[in-house]
Amino acid sequence: MDMDSVIGMTLRIGVIISIILISIGVALIIVRGEGMGYSLSELSSMRSPVNSSVIPVITAINEAPSLDGLSLIVLGLIVLIATPVIRVLLGIASFAMEKDWLYVAITIIVFLDLMIAIFIIPMFLR
Amino acid sequence: MLDIILRFVEILIAGIFSGFIGSLTGLGGGTVLTPLLVLFLGVPIYYATGASLISTIATSSGSASAYIKDKITNVRIGMGLEVATSSGAIVGSLSAGWIYSHGLAWIIYIVFGVVLLTSIIPTVQRGKYEIPKPRPPDWTNRVFKLHGEYHDAALGRTIEYWGVRWWLGEVIMFFAGVISGLLGIGSGALKVLGLDWAMNLPMKVSTTTSNFMIGVTAATGSSIYWYFGYIQPFIAAATAIGVLIGAFIGTKVLVKLTNRFVRWIFIVILNFLGVEMVLRGAGIARILVVPLAYEYLLSTVTSIILMIVLLLKYGRRR
Repeated sequence: MDMDSVIGMTLRIGVIISIILISIGVALIIVRGEGMGYSLSELSSMRSPVNSSVIPVITAINEAPSLDGLSLIVLGLIVLIATPVIRVLLGIASFAMEKDWLYVAITIIVFLDLMIAIFIIPMFLR
Repeated sequence: MLDIILRFVEILIAGIFSGFIGSLTGLGGGTVLTPLLVLFLGVPIYYATGASLISTIATSSGSASAYIKDKITNVRIGMGLEVATSSGAIVGSLSAGWIYSHGLAWIIYIVFGVVLLTSIIPTVQRGKYEIPKPRPPDWTNRVFKLHGEYHDAALGRTIEYWGVRWWLGEVIMFFAGVISGLLGIGSGALKVLGLDWAMNLPMKVSTTTSNFMIGVTAATGSSIYWYFGYIQPFIAAATAIGVLIGAFIGTKVLVKLTNRFVRWIFIVILNFLGVEMVLRGAGIARILVVPLAYEYLLSTVTSIILMIVLLLKYGRRR
């Protein structure tokens, strides 16, 4: 299997996992009428106060195995954001296998940009 | 209970429509999604842009996996330009945070509208031909290995191409990234502009390469949006699923359609939504307050005029 197929497969699996998690999550919040202690009407209102800044990622990950709907949605969204990040990592590996060092360097810069956006900037703004 | 399921389905359908248009055009799902959510479903613009950015990742990753198999995407060109785009996305999403926290959301409406309207121009101009006239290779072509080939199913032959003016591509891509972060869209129109106008790549290569890049750009912006709290799980869940379904249908159609047809439909849609967003923004800022009915009328009339102009100018040429 060549690297292109691996990358294509990774993207597809990432999206599929994420969509499955999100779909189950939505079904669960509707059936149970709540998620992470928020009521369904709070969760689903267009001007809902429940958003990514009030849901701690760690809590969501911890509560996901207990089949909390909101946690599963949040987990699915995280998987979705992580998919391109993994794709970039695989890109580094792929260019390294071709010994194309210029593009290894370029792809590492792209990866660093992602890391800055995910970890460094929230740290600075806090 | 039923009203909540209905609300979910509404957002889902908006997502399907946007995903379909987005994947046909290479704009990404968000460009059409945000206006639909804001104008017709009453979603606050920051949640709409957040949901749209998330969905853009889904479209990009979902359809990129299909394009990689067809080997139309040029990964080197995409990754090289992504350096500029993801840096731009950081600048753009931080600016968005500043704008919303200062109560200046109308700026986002107007910029959004203007971006929609200006993305019509390259679309019209490039309607004439599919494969660009070759330009002499320059130094960037050699250094960054900007060449490739793909099999074009519609033309029934293998197309060889090479890219030029990498530096100009980078400059345009930085702005594409800023717009992506600012408006929560994939900024596919600007990316296609950078790829096919600046770097002289064939339309199909531009579209698929731009689609590949959109995922990485959107992931950069989403991370910052996440911190700002622009991602509302219920809305984002509905749009992510919807856009993905739409994009899936779109990818099935893309390989078969000739490019001219794709352009015509979305020029009209872009125009309608663009005029709407500008008017709505002007209304919020109290620059120009137009009653809703007139707002729709104005958008429809300009779209019809645009369509007639296009037909007269390009319609008879084959």
